[in-house]
Amino acid sequence: MRDDLEAAGRDGPLRVLVAEDETIVRLDLRGLLERHGLQVCGEARDGEEAVRLARELDPGVALLDLRMPVLDGIEAARRMTAERPLPIVMLTAYSDRSYVEKAIDAGVFTYLVKPFRESDVVPALRTAVVRHGELLRARRAIGAKPVRPVVIGLRSPSGADWPPLRVGRKDDGSLEVDVL
Amino acid sequence: MRVLVAEDETLIRLDVCGMLEAAGHTVCAEARDGAEAVELARSLEPDLAVLDVKMPHLDGIEAARRILEERPVPIVIVSAFSERVLVERAAEAGVFGYLAKPFREDRLLPAIATARARFEELVAVRSEVESLAEALAVRKAIERAKGILMEKEGLTEAQAFARLRSASQVSGRPMRVLAEAVIATFSTALA
Repeated sequence: MRDDLEAAGRDGPLRVLVAEDETIVRLDLRGLLERHGLQVCGEARDGEEAVRLARELDPGVALLDLRMPVLDGIEAARRMTAERPLPIVMLTAYSDRSYVEKAIDAGVFTYLVKPFRESDVVPALRTAVVRHGELLRARRAIGAKPVRPVVIGLRSPSGADWPPLRVGRKDDGSLEVDVL
Repeated sequence: MRVLVAEDETLIRLDVCGMLEAAGHTVCAEARDGAEAVELARSLEPDLAVLDVKMPHLDGIEAARRILEERPVPIVIVSAFSERVLVERAAEAGVFGYLAKPFREDRLLPAIATARARFEELVAVRSEVESLAEALAVRKAIERAKGILMEKEGLTEAQAFARLRSASQVSGRPMRVLAEAVIATFSTALA
């Protein structure tokens, strides 16, 4: 599993995308992460920017604030993981159960409560990367199986036929759905 | 959730158990050292384990490794220490969370909720891998048995398949078992 830590950092330190709208907190996070040998490869000030930077920079892990302008951290997490598997750690001032559940649904690996502590942030990122690597390997094992795509015909409640869907699997094991 | 709590300091252990129970979880086991945690995880099969790192006899990370060798379960490590080497050992052992001490329920509860959820996702993906592997093995065995029947009995493919299926229905045994029996019989006859 050590190779996941290194693979996530490719040939160097673990590359972290930080999304946090408050400048002081963001700078603080950058300093903290760099002190621990992690590399901040991108800084986003809102959720939309975070999604774009995740796409462009291909980070090893993302650290997202929950409450951000334009797009909140949970929706950003959902969009990021829909595009590409990525371990995400959520950082927030809210520990309410409903937020935690939404974050879990969005695929978030760990949920950290502010005020954040150095001693929580770094272990959370490292643990998330390794467990996510394990999950990816398991998914790839499914992707490696020759599963024939199936075509599903749908009928809407009103009786009209919807176009058939072709459901297959991508190499990483996630589902691929095409409208025929 | 039924939770195992391993912590050598009594006051902290009571505190952690209190937080879990106030949130509606059941503390099904309390361990005072790592060896006891491994034993209790084996006998009580908790849904999740919260393990302290520095404990007598066996530390929490080694206890996590041994628990996971026996049975998959989500584990959250709690520790006053978060040095890189400890965190990496814990991650390699397979833990789903690493929480720094001291903490209140507002930190503990999200940590165990996310650990449980991501653990279940991993288990679901793995079982899908296994069931696919199983399905492929079944198909392979049936194809082979069909080929043998076609060759030995001069049947068409449809007839060979129908024979396997009716043998399965009559005997109440899965097709895979019958297919393997056909293969085994033929291999013995060859030898």
